[in-house]
Amino acid sequence: MAIFDNLQKISDTAWELPASYKDGMRVPARIIATEKLVREMDEAVYQQISNVTTLPGITRYALCMPDGHSGYGFPIGGVAAMDVHEDGVISPGGIGFDINCGMRLVITNLTLEDVQPHLRQIVDRLYERVPAGVGSHGFLKLSRQDFRNLVEQGARWCIEHDYGWEEDLEFTEENGCISGANSAKISERAVDRGYNQVGTLGSGNHYLEVQVARPEDVRDKELAEKFGLAIPNQVVVMFHCGSRGFGHQVATDYLRTFLKVMDSKYGIKILDRELACAPFESPEGRDYFAAMKCGLNMSFANRQVILHRIREVFSDVFGRSAEDLDMRMVYDVAHNTAKLERHLVDGKERKLLVHRKGATRAFGPGHREVTTRYREIGQPVIIGGSMETGSYLLVGTASGAETFFSTAHGSGRTMSRTKARKLWHGKQLQRDLEARGIYVRSTSWAGLAEEAGAAYKNIDEVIAATELAGISKPVVRFTPIGNVKG
Amino acid sequence: MITGPLGSGKTTLLRHILAMHPANIAIVMNEFGEITIDAKIIEGQNVRIAELGGGCVCCSLLGEFEAAVTEIINKVGPERIVVETTGLAEPEALVFNIQDALPQCRLDGVISVIDADMLARFPELGHTTRLQIEGADILLLNKIDLVDANQIEPLERKLRETNSSAVIIRTERCRIDPELLFGIGRHREQTDALLGPGSPIPATTHQNRPDFGSFAFSSDKGFSRDCFERFADALPASVIRAKGFVRFQDGSQLFNFVAGRWELEPFEADRTELVFIGKEIAAKKKTILSALKKCEL
Repeated sequence: MAIFDNLQKISDTAWELPASYKDGMRVPARIIATEKLVREMDEAVYQQISNVTTLPGITRYALCMPDGHSGYGFPIGGVAAMDVHEDGVISPGGIGFDINCGMRLVITNLTLEDVQPHLRQIVDRLYERVPAGVGSHGFLKLSRQDFRNLVEQGARWCIEHDYGWEEDLEFTEENGCISGANSAKISERAVDRGYNQVGTLGSGNHYLEVQVARPEDVRDKELAEKFGLAIPNQVVVMFHCGSRGFGHQVATDYLRTFLKVMDSKYGIKILDRELACAPFESPEGRDYFAAMKCGLNMSFANRQVILHRIREVFSDVFGRSAEDLDMRMVYDVAHNTAKLERHLVDGKERKLLVHRKGATRAFGPGHREVTTRYREIGQPVIIGGSMETGSYLLVGTASGAETFFSTAHGSGRTMSRTKARKLWHGKQLQRDLEARGIYVRSTSWAGLAEEAGAAYKNIDEVIAATELAGISKPVVRFTPIGNVKG
Repeated sequence: MITGPLGSGKTTLLRHILAMHPANIAIVMNEFGEITIDAKIIEGQNVRIAELGGGCVCCSLLGEFEAAVTEIINKVGPERIVVETTGLAEPEALVFNIQDALPQCRLDGVISVIDADMLARFPELGHTTRLQIEGADILLLNKIDLVDANQIEPLERKLRETNSSAVIIRTERCRIDPELLFGIGRHREQTDALLGPGSPIPATTHQNRPDFGSFAFSSDKGFSRDCFERFADALPASVIRAKGFVRFQDGSQLFNFVAGRWELEPFEADRTELVFIGKEIAAKKKTILSALKKCEL
């Protein structure tokens, strides 16, 4: 029997594998997507999300977002809330290696007409000022001690060193600095891999894009204006990057630790070794939490420095200050995290460690953790599509409580990177994109091919699914015109 | 390229390769700290290099992989480079990078080290582990001393279900002569090379080449040289490649067989260990093994 037939339809956008599906499942596994998107998912996703339900402390269900696809341990798009008072665990495979890989969106008061004549120059300068590629080094020269301070202070460190505006912090999740980051819990090797990478994009699916908000793509005019999008054909810059080699090393270090203690010390039995974990309230779990927070802060700082470079480039090209170009941040959201949050479960408030791997936090209107500037309307959500198709600004909804206020993070791959490289050739892809008015610079042709539009799910379908499921609401769709690909 | 999940024995294998003191080899590892190195460390731009003598160096990446390999080639000029990937890496992407961005190298093979005990203990292969098994030319089923002898065959079958054509070699503490790991890998590449870069390129992974297979043989007995030479001459045309060590009465030899031509040269080895790779070779396996058995003394 095909595994799809084991799924119970809860609603048009909720599909459940019951806890009886597999031995050891503590709660059901739920996929939030339309039938079409569910059917398009790799069967490994169903196995992975049901394996997640075997982890101690899991509350209500393990969730997979509409853009889910298979990853290390958890699927990418996986969400799991662990009750820390009920022996709940923390698992690096539920956070991802690129800790706090995330999105940042900045507006300008320029229109497509203003930018078009300078587009190549802007993209070329961005390509120079924001280093991309696998081992790219940043222009920021930090000592190892500076770096340790930076990972404890996050984007705040950058503002204090003149890389940005004070108000940027207000528009960043956690105000750009999550408390409790402890650099004593990270290895020297992690510092090695991070201290020269602040201000760099990285490789893979990381990118920086110049985009346009076409009038016909504004889905909610009133909300759009509140986020600063009020000019027809307004140009914005969106970028996606994370904690680079640093986050990867932190995850590796603690996966090793957890593999040693998981069974022998804590008696935790799991189906898939990639789900290695430790109780949150254990010395190992606490240490990882403090180290992982350093990864979160490194990433906020990384995006802060990149924002500063973007402002410099626009300012140089147009001969006006970034303030004069109104280059305000709309928001910065994290994708790969685990955070302690309070959620209502069966009418009772509980303290849960919410793992979001390739999923975006999406608090609705009135939530106390949303910045006061947006509290009335809800938290902005930024979802990037493939570089060919388009991206979205959305907002969290009150009905998002069903998914612990989580939504999709991107369009989700439909095929492996390897397969994409075999199907397309990067250089040809660049020419095709240019013919369609999108100017692309990339460090690697093969890497560019990996990001071909057809290697991803249709972004519009993913967004529609999140809206239908009531977990986020689209505000504006953006069309790319220039792209720096990592 | 050496891949495999965290804790499967990749570093042990590297340590073992280093202990054999190979000449003109560069070993690229994730972390120096895992091997005690008493040598001068040279800090390069993309790589940290420890000179071990005889043209053998040990390297730890600082920057981009491609840049680091180029730097090693320019500074040291090794004949062979052994690369250790992290336990979290999906090998195919790196395979592509080597073929795509490093024309000065030829990828010899992907070796995945798999922990037999872990394979037996966890009911499901993880996503990344599966990709590491799928992408391998040689699978070292390591730590076989930690599982019951009767478990080994089912474990090999489990590996075969994911990768039907890789050579599976059983090891304890990764004890294998490194010589056996070189030169038997990438036969699937031949088709890639014919097609060249461009689009679209049909997938050429193991799964799509069910006719391609391999098997390994090992024995603690001595062999008759005359008998073995007759055996080698009579190997069927479906055997494309064979390699290994054979213990004869007058000493052990390295056996190298490529498409019907073969040679033997003196080589230190304490047991007979051979691998055979070819097209539709499964049908011939029984005949080949029984002919080989007849040469045992």
